[in-house]
Amino acid sequence: MPLRRIGLGLAASSAIFLAGCARNAPQDTWQPKGENAEKINTLQWMVFPLAGIVGVAVFALIAYILWRFRDRGQAIPHQSHGNPAVEITLTIIPALILSVVGVFTFKGIFELAQTNDTQMVINVTGQQWWWEYDYPAQVVNGVEITQPIITSGQLVIPTGTKVLLRETSRDVIHSYWIPALNGKKDAVPGRINLLRIQANKPGIFAGQCTEFCGLSHANMRMEAVALGPEDFAAWIANQQRNAESPAQATLAQEGEAVFLNQCIRCHQVNGLKKADGTAAIAAPDENVYSGAVPNLTHLMSRNTFAGAKFDLLTADCRKNVWSASPDEFGSAYLKGVTSDCLNQTNLRGWLRNAPAMKPMYADPTKLAVSDGKYRGMPNLGLSESDIDKLVAYLSTLK
Amino acid sequence: MFTTGSKYCFGIAGLGSLGAVVYMVLVHPCDVGVLALLGIAIAMSLVGGVAQFTGDFDVDSPNDALTANAVAPANSMWPLVLALGVVLLLVGMTTDPIIFILGIVIIIAAGVEWALQSWAERASSDSAFNRFVRERALTSLELPIFVGGGVAIIAVAFSRIMLAVSPHSGAILFIVIATAVLIVGFLVSVKTNIKKSMIAATCVLGAVVLLVSGGIAGFNGNREELVVAAAEDHYSHKECEAAASEHFDKNSNNAVSMKSGISATIRVKDGKLTAQLIGIDAQVQAVTVQRSNLTTILFRNLDDAQYRLVANLGTKKIADTGVEEAIVDCTQMTGKNQTQALILKISKPSASSGPYTLTVPGLEGQEIAVVVP
Repeated sequence: MPLRRIGLGLAASSAIFLAGCARNAPQDTWQPKGENAEKINTLQWMVFPLAGIVGVAVFALIAYILWRFRDRGQAIPHQSHGNPAVEITLTIIPALILSVVGVFTFKGIFELAQTNDTQMVINVTGQQWWWEYDYPAQVVNGVEITQPIITSGQLVIPTGTKVLLRETSRDVIHSYWIPALNGKKDAVPGRINLLRIQANKPGIFAGQCTEFCGLSHANMRMEAVALGPEDFAAWIANQQRNAESPAQATLAQEGEAVFLNQCIRCHQVNGLKKADGTAAIAAPDENVYSGAVPNLTHLMSRNTFAGAKFDLLTADCRKNVWSASPDEFGSAYLKGVTSDCLNQTNLRGWLRNAPAMKPMYADPTKLAVSDGKYRGMPNLGLSESDIDKLVAYLSTLK
Repeated sequence: MFTTGSKYCFGIAGLGSLGAVVYMVLVHPCDVGVLALLGIAIAMSLVGGVAQFTGDFDVDSPNDALTANAVAPANSMWPLVLALGVVLLLVGMTTDPIIFILGIVIIIAAGVEWALQSWAERASSDSAFNRFVRERALTSLELPIFVGGGVAIIAVAFSRIMLAVSPHSGAILFIVIATAVLIVGFLVSVKTNIKKSMIAATCVLGAVVLLVSGGIAGFNGNREELVVAAAEDHYSHKECEAAASEHFDKNSNNAVSMKSGISATIRVKDGKLTAQLIGIDAQVQAVTVQRSNLTTILFRNLDDAQYRLVANLGTKKIADTGVEEAIVDCTQMTGKNQTQALILKISKPSASSGPYTLTVPGLEGQEIAVVVP
């Protein structure tokens, strides 16, 4: 083989190999940040090199045989059948390897399935194409959740706590995966699947739906936020508050009126009242196929929206949160989205024409298959003036 | 130039590529179907390349292959029938499961017939012997299938007729047909000189009348009372009182096997109502149910008395009347150590028309709160 071809082959192989060494890889499965992910990491450090050696050896042998014995018009060699010594050896060696791997794998599976020492429970519901989290009433590390908390996009958990996620889905099968905290677990309609996660230190960890779930599967992301005990208590306290109406005669108050006219059909804001003083209750079940859309009561307390696809923070502010040290992370995150950090481009773009930013089944003329209901947010045809007002109002939902 | 196997693979690859282009033009350039067809094309190109490179993996030279005999194979309708089966299969995939199943049946039948015909034609150089071989192999398969199919068609046609006419007319019809069959059978057995063609004509006539009548009855549908009965929902208004209901609690199935899909378990023990969420050992007094999501709650009765679990889910307005109606759902009556499942889908938050509760009639003053965020 010419030296040049060998060199090209080696260069291509090296490029592929080195592509796995990206520094900024938040979904790296080799960097566990919690007890459960560490168990998986330990197992894969044992299995992966072993499987890699076997795999490379097998592929090299196949390549050699393909090349060495290719058809060159030569006479058919003598054909023989079977070689007991080789066959027995090649059966026993894999069986031994798999037995050893199996012992550690089953041990890991049983340890990861353990739930009897759960310290906190969160219901996780997948739908096209975002995740909803609701926190039932419970006491977590001495902090009492008196009223269920409902949020989306970012899952907030306390550090050093064994958190049990009870997963299900409202429409199709999804799969929840935050590589730094544990393996993946399918969210299946009509079933409750359990996944336990734990974060050692404060920080933010990225994830991605890993079960193909339709048009915007690639845009169905999630982030887990781990806060220290005091910061978590502060977050809980804030989440249990209802939203307050904006001050009189402000742009935000006009935005509230626009919200009551348009957005309340699907989006709930706890504490929001109609003009007659009664509670404004959203009816996503009448407009959206999955029957639920994100609750926006504390929109600006989270850093993302639209299934964690888009940042509510500007690039610099986002970098400050993601790169904060564990000691400073809590205060950086709890600041939420301040006026100088709001990513106006993303939010305005979304309000202007959501389906243009994230593919969704939101064409009003093609809803026959979903009983006339949307799967995703449609283009509401808002005027620029209404968008200004809405941005002002949404900015108050801390 | 190309080996036999690689031609096949390259052919499929070419069709896949062509199909992808057509799909892009006719359906959508970025649809999953395009990816699937291109995936087939790429995979078959790869396999074809390997087959070409290795000479079809054959140790025998194609020239060495010998045919079993020199008799030319007869024309066969089975490839055509098999193609029809494939078409029905593909059409059925996008339209009706019955057409899909029919396609599978035809493909299997045509495949077996074709394979055995091909095999029989190569059995010897004697065509007559080959036909004998074919019939000996296939008759044992064909006869029971044809007879079974014929009996099934007669049964379906007769059942359509009986479902279409009134019970009274059905009884008269049954007596008339049975009498006619008895008379014909009696005549055939007594009058041994009746011509076979006469008997065959009578049977064919009877079969035609039955099939036509069955077809007409099938198109017209069942009689009125059956249509009404099928449309009735006996569970639309569940009887959720403390006492057992004659209708709702009849034949209740008190064993539940859907444990992995259960969100919470509600128990009655020593007259006390308790709740436990899956994954949490502690007992709770409130159950959180995700909005607009099917949620299964298990009810387990550990007491001697019979109880049922009732979900009180607020009220709703009856359309155009302004009248408020309570939304209630419940399990059937549950005996000692028995379980029932209650499946809820609540679209409104408990803050809207709540509070929502789970109660057990007969255990007054006790309830489990249902919180829908």
